[in-house]
Amino acid sequence: MKNLIVLFQKEWRENTRNFKILWIPLVFIFFGLSEPLTSYYLPQILEAVGNLPEDAVFSLPEFTAAQVIMATMGQYQFFGMLVLVLGFAGTISRERKNGTGTLIYVRPISYLSYFLSKWKVIGTIALVSVWLGLLTTWYYTELLFGKVDTADFFAFAGTYSVWILFVVTIVVAMSAWLPTGAAATVSLLLVLLVQIVDSLLGAYWTISPWKLAIYATQWLTGSPDATNFWWSIVVTLIAIVGLVVFGVWMSKRNASKTKI
Amino acid sequence: MDFLEGIPWGIIAPIFIIQLLLLIIALIDLSKISDTNGPKWVWALVIIFFSIFGPITYFIIGRKQG
Repeated sequence: MKNLIVLFQKEWRENTRNFKILWIPLVFIFFGLSEPLTSYYLPQILEAVGNLPEDAVFSLPEFTAAQVIMATMGQYQFFGMLVLVLGFAGTISRERKNGTGTLIYVRPISYLSYFLSKWKVIGTIALVSVWLGLLTTWYYTELLFGKVDTADFFAFAGTYSVWILFVVTIVVAMSAWLPTGAAATVSLLLVLLVQIVDSLLGAYWTISPWKLAIYATQWLTGSPDATNFWWSIVVTLIAIVGLVVFGVWMSKRNASKTKI
Repeated sequence: MDFLEGIPWGIIAPIFIIQLLLLIIALIDLSKISDTNGPKWVWALVIIFFSIFGPITYFIIGRKQG
């Protein structure tokens, strides 16, 4: 336990010093702000920069509050995932490369606490960032577009949090397994590519972690199918545990690859 | 430029504040870090002239983690 606290503090300090604790939340808040604002001011923006002919009449779609929040999540699903994966892909692999690993592995630490300390810090940063961003979007959406039910919003953000935790676990586990570049590539494939495949071919199955984001948005307009939703949550949680076990095993196995 | 007057700056200001914060944080980090991937002055220009994406790219690929 004491191990875990010390490692947690080390990890926390590192993320303070490289400013991840500041810039990652700011990026998520930025997208949370810009999405409702650009949707709301789209006509004015087009008027100001578009050089439209005087008599051009075209109707812009009227966005509903739920659609705006979904659009923000859409940004997170691409830019947000990119930031999380590229920002944290080196978390374990870099320590092997630059020798910090050597200083840690010679001490009597358990690889479980080592892995979990990283997972907890990165998970906290990711979840806090996403929640700050989503709360900003919620606030601005209510201001500009109209009411979003509180219970719906929390069901949405809660579901999305499970997905974020899944992504974080993938990134840390891949970083334990592979060198930084490969870890980033494999994580991006797992997060972005599988998501596209799942949305293209996914009509054939209804239970998958990659469907969580879609189920999350369904809370805003109604509610997802209960069986599919809960099974997807269960499957995702099992996958998270599986990835943690894999990550711990890999960080142990790769410990000898550290540069001295 | 009369369309500028209709804009409620109170609502839009936070966007600029966040961009400015990211820019400042990136510049502080750039001034403290010992080495970057590529010349430092290029990163300074990227951070200053590409709003929002400049600082993010710097943080992701510019820092040489040592």
